[in-house]
Amino acid sequence: MHAWTWVLQRISAVILIIALGLHIGFLHFSNTGEPLNYGEVVARLKTPVLIVFDILLLTFGLYHALYGLYSVFLDFDSGKKERVIVLGLFVVVGLGIVGFGIFGLLYTARSL
Amino acid sequence: MSKPLQVKVFRFNPESDVAPRFDDFEVPVFDNMAVLDVVIYIQNYLDRSLSFRFSCRIGMCGSCAMYVNGRARLACRTQVSSLKTRDITIMPLPNFPIIRDLVVDMEPFFDKWKKIKPYYIPKREIDAPVTVQPESNEREFIDDMLDCISCGCCYSACSMVATNKDYLGPAALNRAYTLIADKRDAIRVERLKAVDRSYGVWRCHTQFNCAEVCPKNIVPTRSIQRLKRRCVLKKFGIFK
Ligand code: SF4
Ligand code: FES
Repeated sequence: MHAWTWVLQRISAVILIIALGLHIGFLHFSNTGEPLNYGEVVARLKTPVLIVFDILLLTFGLYHALYGLYSVFLDFDSGKKERVIVLGLFVVVGLGIVGFGIFGLLYTARSL
Repeated sequence: MSKPLQVKVFRFNPESDVAPRFDDFEVPVFDNMAVLDVVIYIQNYLDRSLSFRFSCRIGMCGSCAMYVNGRARLACRTQVSSLKTRDITIMPLPNFPIIRDLVVDMEPFFDKWKKIKPYYIPKREIDAPVTVQPESNEREFIDDMLDCISCGCCYSACSMVATNKDYLGPAALNRAYTLIADKRDAIRVERLKAVDRSYGVWRCHTQFNCAEVCPKNIVPTRSIQRLKRRCVLKKFGIFK
C-alpha cells in the first residue's frame, strides 16, 4: 500500500504547486479594480476553470496534508489496532471535508 | 606547550551505578591527536576503569564510533584540532543500549542488518562473473555505497530510529540497496519485499541526518529513495 500512497503524495505535491500557483496568480491578476465588487466575486465563483482548480486544490491539498500527518503518526511505535483506527479516522475526515467542499463550490456556483 | 584539553566523559555501569554521570579529565595535547588518543590517555593515566571500544585505529573497523561534541564520529578519525575547541564532551552513541561507559550494544543494529540478508546470493544460471558493467552509472553508485563499515553513526543520528524501534535504519537499507541494485543477485525481489514495509523504506523522511554523520561520506538517504522507486516499479510490475 505504501508504494501507491507515496507516489500519490509526490503527484499531489506537483499538482499542488501548479494549482496553487494558478490560483494565486489568477486571484492576483484578474482583479479589474479595487475594491472588488459583488458581481466580480460571483463571476469568479461561477468560472468552471476556477471551480475545477479549487476542487483540485482541496482534494490534493487535503490528501497531501493527511498523508503527511499519518506518516508522522507511523513514526512512533503504535499497535496495528491504533494504526487502523487512525487511518480510518483520516479517511473519513478527508472524504467528509472533500465532499463538503465540492458540494459547497458547486452549490454556490448554481445558486448565485 | 598548548593548554590541556578539558574532557567530559559519560560514565555508566548499569550493573553498579544507579544513574549515569560525567567525569572531568584534563588531558595534555600532542600533534595530530585524535579523540581516540584522548580516551586512551585517560584510560592509561587517569582512570583505568574507563570502557570504550576500538580496533583498527584507521577508520576501517567501525568499532570506535562515539558521540563527540554533539555529533556521532569515529574517534580514531576525528582530530582533536578539527573540533576547534579545548572542551570536549564524549558520550556513547545515541539510539543504542549502553553496555558500559562509551560501549554500546550493537545487537539491535545487526539484528536489522540480518533482516535484509546482507550477503550476496548469486543467480544459478549466471556463469559469467559480471553482468553489471563496471563502467555503468549503476555500478559506480553501488560501489560508493559499499564503503559502509557498519559503525552505526547513521543509525544513532536518525530520528526515525529514535522514535521507532522497528525501523530498519539507514545502514541496513543502504546495504539492501547495494544488493537489490545488483542484477546478479538471486533474491532481489525477495529483498525488496523485505524493505517494502511500513518500517522499512517508507519510514525514511529524507532528513539526511545519516548522510550528515557518515564517516565514509555515504548518503544512505539516496539509497533509500532509490529503493522506494524500485518498490513503486514493483507495484507496476516493472521491477523484475
Ligand atoms: S552508512 Fe556510514 S554511518 Fe552508517 S554504518 Fe555505514 S559507514 Fe557507518
Ligand atoms: S578503530 Fe576502527 S574505525 Fe576507529
